[in-house]
Amino acid sequence: MRLLIVDDSNMIRTRISRVVQSGGLTGVVLAGLAKNGREAVRLARATRPEVVTMDLTMPEMDGIECIGELLRFDPKINILVVSALSDKSTAIQALRLGARGFVAKPFTDEELQMALLDVADNSREL
Amino acid sequence: MATLQENDLKLFVDSIRHYLKVTTRQEPQITSAFLGTGDIDGFEFNGVVTFSGSHNGHVVVSMPGKLVREILLLQHETDLADGNLLDAVGEIANTLAGNARKALGPELQISVPIKLQGAQGIKARVRKHPYVITLRWNHYAALVCVDMERKN
Repeated sequence: MRLLIVDDSNMIRTRISRVVQSGGLTGVVLAGLAKNGREAVRLARATRPEVVTMDLTMPEMDGIECIGELLRFDPKINILVVSALSDKSTAIQALRLGARGFVAKPFTDEELQMALLDVADNSREL
Repeated sequence: MATLQENDLKLFVDSIRHYLKVTTRQEPQITSAFLGTGDIDGFEFNGVVTFSGSHNGHVVVSMPGKLVREILLLQHETDLADGNLLDAVGEIANTLAGNARKALGPELQISVPIKLQGAQGIKARVRKHPYVITLRWNHYAALVCVDMERKN
């Protein structure tokens, strides 16, 4: 299963990829790293990821707009939002748009692993 | 412009404490929280997030390089170049600002972080007396400055 990581912070992109590579997420392969929504759309078209971790506050194209773009392109993409915008209404908005899960920043490695496992399981069932 | 009380701004004390506890498993010691007068001395690496929507102003996270490097090392980061330290301090500011929506409401809009290198004084732009939180984490001093007001 291919994973695309989308976040404008290099620290977060590196951290998520480390959690994926060292966290026992069997069968998850890194498809790419994007630092804004526009880059994510381009990479998603090229690499066809099944799972995407998505930041919301980003330059050029924010996460909310990017979720819409990605799901228009491939409605089966499983999107896990990883954002500091941890208020309930933002989470609801992202889930209504079609995201499959939400992890609030700051997060522990364990919280991220659990959320990715949930989304990955969901992806395998589809 | 509606004045935010010191109590309203204390959410940022909890927020920076929570951030460091979760990401490093080590709580900071909050050494003071006060309403600043005049310019505030900052550290070398600064992340600034601007507020709009229901509020205006900004939050600044200011940290010395040694502290930011330690945070990155604890996350197994190997690239400790200045650009990555700036990225990290910007991300911390982004997280504090984003988490503030829980208490201040979803109408609070936040910008992407601006990152500044160099120990420059932090000037108040919105409040006469911005809220300053000083802390010590793993022996290193740092600060968070909250300069914001609610729009009427």
